[in-house]
Amino acid sequence: MIRPLLSLGFLALVAVVLALGLGSVTVPLPEIWQVMQGEGSALNRALLLELRLPRTLAAFATGGLLAVAGALMQVLLRNPLADPYVLGLSGGAAVGALLAMLAGMGTILISGSAFAGALLATLLVFGLAHGTGSWTPSRLLLTGVVVAAGWGAVITLMLAITPSYKLPGMLYWLMGDVSYARTPWPALIVLVLSIVLIMPLARNLNVLARGPMQAAALGVSVRPLEWTIYLLASLLTATAVTTAGSIGFVGLIVPHMLRLVLGNDQRIILPASALAGGTLLVLADTLARTVIAPEQLPVGVITALLGVPTFLYLLHRSR
Amino acid sequence: MSVHRQSIRVALGFLIVFVVQTLSAGEVQRCAIDDMGKELCLPAPAQRIITLSPGATELTFAAGAGAKVVAVVNYSDYPPEALKLPLVGSHTRVDMEALLALKPDLVVTWVTGNPPAQIELLGELGIPMFAIEPRTFEGVSSVIERLATLAGTEQAGLAEAERFRVGIAALSEQYRNAEPIPVFYQVWEQPLMTINNDHLIGKVLQLCGGVNVFGEMPRLVPRISSEVVLQADPHAILTGSVEGVSDGQLDSWKQYSELTAVKKKNLFFVPASPISRPTPRLLEATRIVCDYLDSAREH
Repeated sequence: MIRPLLSLGFLALVAVVLALGLGSVTVPLPEIWQVMQGEGSALNRALLLELRLPRTLAAFATGGLLAVAGALMQVLLRNPLADPYVLGLSGGAAVGALLAMLAGMGTILISGSAFAGALLATLLVFGLAHGTGSWTPSRLLLTGVVVAAGWGAVITLMLAITPSYKLPGMLYWLMGDVSYARTPWPALIVLVLSIVLIMPLARNLNVLARGPMQAAALGVSVRPLEWTIYLLASLLTATAVTTAGSIGFVGLIVPHMLRLVLGNDQRIILPASALAGGTLLVLADTLARTVIAPEQLPVGVITALLGVPTFLYLLHRSR
Repeated sequence: MSVHRQSIRVALGFLIVFVVQTLSAGEVQRCAIDDMGKELCLPAPAQRIITLSPGATELTFAAGAGAKVVAVVNYSDYPPEALKLPLVGSHTRVDMEALLALKPDLVVTWVTGNPPAQIELLGELGIPMFAIEPRTFEGVSSVIERLATLAGTEQAGLAEAERFRVGIAALSEQYRNAEPIPVFYQVWEQPLMTINNDHLIGKVLQLCGGVNVFGEMPRLVPRISSEVVLQADPHAILTGSVEGVSDGQLDSWKQYSELTAVKKKNLFFVPASPISRPTPRLLEATRIVCDYLDSAREH
């Protein structure tokens, strides 16, 4: 059980080292070593410590958060199409961020407002799906999808009435990019803490994935467990979106890939998602900033270009 | 009285000596306030400039500091020398590593066009930045002067700023009493967009005696329907195109033969980058617009 995690961890380490070594400016390995020991030229220090390291860590944390959130959503909704954004969380975050930009706030307040928007979206869906009568995952899914459509309309409306000189900043935010991440630490901490928190529940998640009736019959208190997953996945997604905007694809595809290779045991899938999601985004971001340097590509393009063929290959092999 | 005058003369003398001394020592700070209201002071004239928008490239060259530009962003196509310079990505995605490696001592940014997060990071890395975005004719001259101050190229820069200022003033004087003519400026065809009077292009139309039929709209770049264009019945329709050559962007209006602009064949193409970039080439574009409106009046 521990072996796939060890190899994924090794891959993650390789990806991070690659990301630190590659860039528009070539920094030879000995000089990277110098910088790591607190020496090296001012330029190399700035390149590695101020640009590449924070960006790489932010990419890793964002990818990990999204993949774990996606895995949780897929278990919760028992729907293979579920991803971290399916319940309208990124829409809420976007509305929060755009409102802050309209008000002319600085980047920190924009991040805070995005986070608040994501939490508001979570609570809104939580409250509405509760409603009267019983709630089910499909009720949660429908509520979320409809609320997400509502957020989409609000975003379009805001873009249509915003003074044009504020539009570029808003569009940059909506596109999402790891290079806009200022500090990786909150995302990394949330990622580690959530894995520690969720691991004891993984066995119950396995049972839940087979259906709520079976889970209840086996003594799992289904409803509290489902809401815990929902809130945790929302927190993970909100942190990811606040760090780097809404980066698509990672949260949908990484858990599926891992299930095809490792089987559907949440005790492995959840930590593996954190490692694999992080690795995928680090590699994608490294390619995005080097492939046609000095031109920089949006990272979402690369995650899809890397992920689609890999996923299709795994799917094909599994039949 | 004479004592008073003498003391003034002595004080002036001291002042001149002081200024000359500091200038010759090369220690005088060069300060300028950018278009976000932030003051930038450089200890010495900038020697390694990077520009983060095509307009910034053009204005820096206009300020006489072209030889000091070490890198530009994509689409910096004017003056032609700029095409030979290394790139640091595009104005929407700056290659931060490439920029840092060139060790610039001045980065000219675009107030609303560059990603705010990247600009903030540059600030934290201690790179001197000057944000520009002229929104008036005077703003163009003023930016050129301020860039010249920072680069220590006042001689060329002040002359170019003055050439633009005088040129615009002369045109303005020439068209002050021109017969007003209703004009529609098409920024984009699908979706149909125009500009109001606050936009620099709107100011060009006004200067030439044109009356922008959508000048009073609240938004700077309003989206409109073709119905309101028909209702406003402009006597001339203008749009920007590469080199000012007809590229079919106004063809859809030709189906409305009742439009005065169509009836009189007053559909005009203005060179796109001179009219839409707030740089000295705007003077040339303004002349073209004024000529077009003149010919529209004669039709």
